[in-house]
Amino acid sequence: MPYALTITHLYPDHLNLYGDLGNLIVLRCRCQWMGLDCTVNSLTLGEPARRGTTDIYFMGGGQDTDQMAVVNDFHQLKRDAIQADTEAGAVFLGVCGGYQLMGNTFLMGNGEVTQGLGIIDVSTQAPGADVKQRCIGNLVAELTDAIYADMQTLYATPKDIPRTLVGFENHSGQTYLGKGVEPLARTIAGFGNNATAEYEGARYKNIFGSYMHGSLLPKNPHFADYLIGLALRRRYPEAAIALPVLPDTEELAAHSYAVQRYR
Amino acid sequence: MAMNQLLLIPIVAFAKLLTLVLRLSGRGSGTALPGYLVGRYFPFALEALVSQIPTVVAITGTNGKTTSQTMLSAVISQVPGVNVLRNKAGANLSQGILSELLKQSNTWGHLDFTHAVLEIEEATLPRIATLIKPNIIAVTNLYRDQLDAYGEIDRTEKLIRDGIAQCPAAAVVVNGDDPRTARLTQGLGNATYFVSLAPEYARFLPYEGKLNRRAANSQGLEATQIQINEDLTTDFAIHGQMNGTAVQIPQARTVSPGFFHVYNALTAIAIANLLGIDETTAIAGLQTFKPAFGRGETLIRQQGDKQVNYRLLLVKNPASFSLSLELLRNIPNLKLLLAINDNTADGRDVSWLWDSELERLNQAQIAWILCTGIRAKDMAVRLKYALDQPPGPIPAEESIRQALDLSFQQAQSGDTVFVLPTYTAMLEFRKLMGKTLAVV
Ligand SMILES: [Zn+2]
Repeated sequence: MPYALTITHLYPDHLNLYGDLGNLIVLRCRCQWMGLDCTVNSLTLGEPARRGTTDIYFMGGGQDTDQMAVVNDFHQLKRDAIQADTEAGAVFLGVCGGYQLMGNTFLMGNGEVTQGLGIIDVSTQAPGADVKQRCIGNLVAELTDAIYADMQTLYATPKDIPRTLVGFENHSGQTYLGKGVEPLARTIAGFGNNATAEYEGARYKNIFGSYMHGSLLPKNPHFADYLIGLALRRRYPEAAIALPVLPDTEELAAHSYAVQRYR
Repeated sequence: MAMNQLLLIPIVAFAKLLTLVLRLSGRGSGTALPGYLVGRYFPFALEALVSQIPTVVAITGTNGKTTSQTMLSAVISQVPGVNVLRNKAGANLSQGILSELLKQSNTWGHLDFTHAVLEIEEATLPRIATLIKPNIIAVTNLYRDQLDAYGEIDRTEKLIRDGIAQCPAAAVVVNGDDPRTARLTQGLGNATYFVSLAPEYARFLPYEGKLNRRAANSQGLEATQIQINEDLTTDFAIHGQMNGTAVQIPQARTVSPGFFHVYNALTAIAIANLLGIDETTAIAGLQTFKPAFGRGETLIRQQGDKQVNYRLLLVKNPASFSLSLELLRNIPNLKLLLAINDNTADGRDVSWLWDSELERLNQAQIAWILCTGIRAKDMAVRLKYALDQPPGPIPAEESIRQALDLSFQQAQSGDTVFVLPTYTAMLEFRKLMGKTLAVV
């Protein structure tokens, strides 16, 4: 495919827990395998974001001190450009701590609730008395009808893709979705957004948040392709985007094994 | 103090009696309970016991505590007339240490040792520092483990610093490349000695944050000309200065593989220097060291005329995984068995496979790779994305028993297969080897 994509890894030195790099590796490799011209940039503390230069933003989770540093930096140097991009359909993926951080409020290890980046209307709170423990363990969830249907339209030839997402969650924060934000998937095993609701992850425009690491994209190649497809559709609105079907034997074997074992 | 020493007699007698009763009643070796009870009801016992030993060395840090302890004990034991007490690997909380002291003391509560070399869990150090009063504290490194989301490692760093601050007279030996350990004594008055690798090696190490470059005038030892041999022994040279005296050692060797062990060896040699042991004796002692369980040991499987060696290198986090791979880059015709479980002792979240630099295998000459364990398929996906040119599809066989059989069939007699298992995969592998060892 004669197309190009630019991926921006936000704060790679500070937000890098739980194999976050795996998500970047998978996006980069799959773009290459599809014949896309793919550039991965990083944007860290002290560097201003420039509007219109990124197709896919990725942000992972970090430790409290790092997350705090990121919040201030983001509001000063990045928020306007990145929000303009995401409001115009740029893809953004935040995982675990990154998911919490991109919302209005997020939870720190000491139980304090702090202002987040505010690029998606979700908020994360301390667990109430009804939540007994950290949400920790393997997580299996079923994509919403709309997302699953849309995913299938991306490929050049029909591809048999799973309806599930699999990963591992580890969080005490309880995340609630605001108006206009859709869940990403319905929880089948594990918790997801919070211990009482039945959903995992969030979507608003092309902004996605998920509690899944493991890492997320390696074992969910269809979701990786979806992010690539959405980014291409936005960058090349005139073209009819049809992704080549990659032979995901290993990825899908690992996916179904996890569904079987942990659901 | 004398009062406490007298009080020790009935306490030690009680502990020994309890140990005996537990053993006779068949409840294991019965070493944990006496330590627990004594620690709980006679908190002064730990101090009263340790204070009898003239020289106390405390070793803490994330990786390499046991190896450093074993190497140092091997080095000190070269000196005639010394008698070294050490706690067992893993028994590194205050209870475990107390149990060991109770076990090693005579009926009168007397400990006849010249040196104690104690491995101490990171968070335990500040709780017992003023009781054991170490003459020397060594910190190997501070790595984040894979379940650490909420600043656990920041807390650990602070705890160790608190521990050191309670012992202003202690000499401190730290990893001088790890930014977290290198800054531990900043603002404290402790004499500090840095052990480090020459920068061309240190940059391979997955430390968190910027590699520390120590000041030119600082005290300590640096390893240069590191050479990892095909039999996985490691040769290196050492230079540096300790208390103003230049140190030059043209050749040292560890029988265990890798950069981590070079740090461990440097730590042992630096401490030996502080204890007044000469370099020749220290280097000789280092060579008597045998690698521990899962840390470079070789198991042999034999059937008829065919014999295959399995060399075990435990992987427990991205740092140890990346470093093992760094070692294996130089092995010709590499045969690899990667055994990944996700039980509690392994870490249930396998995300860390993606923080491990499997890409280093691109510089290796690979004959074949086989993935096994509960998360064999995750491992195969990781390899698919890491290898520029995979040696064909990468087989994933969950059953470790079957993977072992398969690897044996695939290997030629005399081959060495490198096994990189997580902790519970290693236990399972060793058990299987035990059963299959003598099959003829
Ligand atoms: Zn998490």
